[in-house]
Amino acid sequence: MSIFKARVKEFEDIFSKDVIDLKELRQLTFNGVPDVQSFRALSWKLLLNYLGPKRNTWATTLAQKRALYRQFIVELVLPPGHNGDNENDDDELRGVALQDHPLSEGPESKWNTFFNDNEFLLQIDKDVRRLCPDISFFQQPTDYPCDIVVHSKGERRLHQRVVPSVLSSANVERKGLGMTKINLITKRSAENYEAMEEGQEAHWEVVQRILFLYAKLNPGQGYVQGMNEIVGPIYFVMASDPDLKFREHAEADCFFCFTALMGEIRDFFIKTLDDAEGGIKCMMAKLSNMLKSKDLAIYEHLRSQELHPQYYSFRWLTLLLSQEFPLPDVVRIWDSVFSDEQRFDFLIKICCSMILIQREAILENDFASNVKLLQNYPPIDINVVLTFAVSLT
Amino acid sequence: MAKKTYDLLFKLLLIGDSGVGKTCILFRFSDDAFTSTFISTIGIDFKIKTVELRGKKIKLQIWDTAGQERFHTITTSYYRGAMGIMLVYDITNEKSFENIVKWLRNIDEHANEDVEKMILGNKCDMSDKRVVNKERGEAIAREHGIRFMETSAKSNINIERAFCELAEAILDKTSGRESAENPERVVIDRKNNDKAPGYNKCCA
Ligand SMILES: Nc1nc2c(ncn2[C@@H]2O[C@H](COP(=O)(O)OP(=O)(O)OP(=O)(O)O)[C@@H](O)[C@H]2O)c(=O)[nH]1
Ligand SMILES: [Mg+2]
Repeated sequence: MSIFKARVKEFEDIFSKDVIDLKELRQLTFNGVPDVQSFRALSWKLLLNYLGPKRNTWATTLAQKRALYRQFIVELVLPPGHNGDNENDDDELRGVALQDHPLSEGPESKWNTFFNDNEFLLQIDKDVRRLCPDISFFQQPTDYPCDIVVHSKGERRLHQRVVPSVLSSANVERKGLGMTKINLITKRSAENYEAMEEGQEAHWEVVQRILFLYAKLNPGQGYVQGMNEIVGPIYFVMASDPDLKFREHAEADCFFCFTALMGEIRDFFIKTLDDAEGGIKCMMAKLSNMLKSKDLAIYEHLRSQELHPQYYSFRWLTLLLSQEFPLPDVVRIWDSVFSDEQRFDFLIKICCSMILIQREAILENDFASNVKLLQNYPPIDINVVLTFAVSLT
Repeated sequence: MAKKTYDLLFKLLLIGDSGVGKTCILFRFSDDAFTSTFISTIGIDFKIKTVELRGKKIKLQIWDTAGQERFHTITTSYYRGAMGIMLVYDITNEKSFENIVKWLRNIDEHANEDVEKMILGNKCDMSDKRVVNKERGEAIAREHGIRFMETSAKSNINIERAFCELAEAILDKTSGRESAENPERVVIDRKNNDKAPGYNKCCA
């Protein structure tokens, strides 16, 4: 049996049990998940605690979470005055319209919230359009668009709220009895990210919705740039799950996996926690200390050049290396990082290895070449880096 | 270590709201190309370009910062060492223009007092989507006594000029000749001055 087949067999075995042995799963996934069946998507769901180890709980968990997610969409994505499934509910519509219209500025106004949302939505919009530009995946239409969004003449597409023409000119019309109607002008941008036809949506639109809902449900944190780079690989894995029964629910499943992961790295994204235990500066210091203990010469060299760790490691650590390598490599790195029970010790080892592997070059280079080297890490076989990281004790 | 191949080293910084085109501007300047899809900048990025000004080789070390508020604690630590700062807004985005005042305040707080500044109204190729007219850009620049230009990273308008003017201003300062040679230099007027003597020498 080839090594690959043997690995596949190991995964088949572990997932055929009624109760998944998480310790064993971690050992397996640490060495990378084979790109077949639902192995990776399923492993990540377990490693991130979205699914519990007992197989017979999965169906219920998935059904509940997916229903909950749909509820989020109905309540939070649709513009005020809509309640999802029953559009003909005129009374309800009028009820909202009577006291609440886009020009009412009370803090309770749903419209007020709507316009506030648009501010962070605008940022999300800019970032999801800039997600993984080197591959075309996110611009492709998904086979599983969200039905209540895509059949709305564009009105429920989040990005339609923030195209410049919409923001500057939400046309308010008053009709009789205080009934207010908004004509959101939906002029479409003719750029690369053209709006899909009615009934379709692109993967980046789905990612946008996930981030929007996350920000709505975590108002203390909101949306911070870089979260797009965290959700991207998870979504990619879920939305390319070979098992179509899972792929169909990639959006909801990704949302909860992303939320779980953010639960662990949230502090990296909060400015006021920069100096706190678990904040990003603390992570950068850990990396710096490891480098110092592994290779004093290189540590001192970088220090003498005043090449501060935050020039490179801020991004490395905040984004779990997702901007440093091509997507397939990122996914492979995350197999190991998610398997690490002491998150994020192994991540720091990987980062340290990246520096140590470039030792000779770094010692030769001047400041500028070194910043460039570390900010644009040269192409490399990712297994070399991971093997190196494993060897660091 | 590599041999020193330049006479002077200037450290420049690009700041402004997220999405105004800072990374595109820098990429246009350093690689003379435009890609419409850049990943968003997280933290701080870095590029080098050497230009020739008045017979001197000047190495520009340019730091590109992330626009979002969250990154300010990380990025403001770079203000101190900067000799020149480009403040960028997007002519199709009102908010990014209003925030110029905020960015100026940041500079006052964190940068050296004598740092050279320049305001850029980027994306001037998108005339159909323009919401900030040129006069407003000029007015705010005049009010604060700093240089101003409209640019397009996409259509390569004024990008090289902007960097060279900023570099030149720093050069003036470092050689201490600014007031002696050109006492009344009203910088804003220079923008229409394509054939200004000395300009072509720069980055030619
Ligand atoms: N039409 C036009 N579009 C531009 C121009 N410059 C940038 N853009 C677009 O604006 C978007 C944002 O540009 P970036 O350079 O990534 O913006 P940034 O200021 O670096 O943003 P952050 O990294 O988030 O702070 C890009 O997707 C470009 O397509 C320009 O001169 N003209
Ligand atoms: Mg940028």
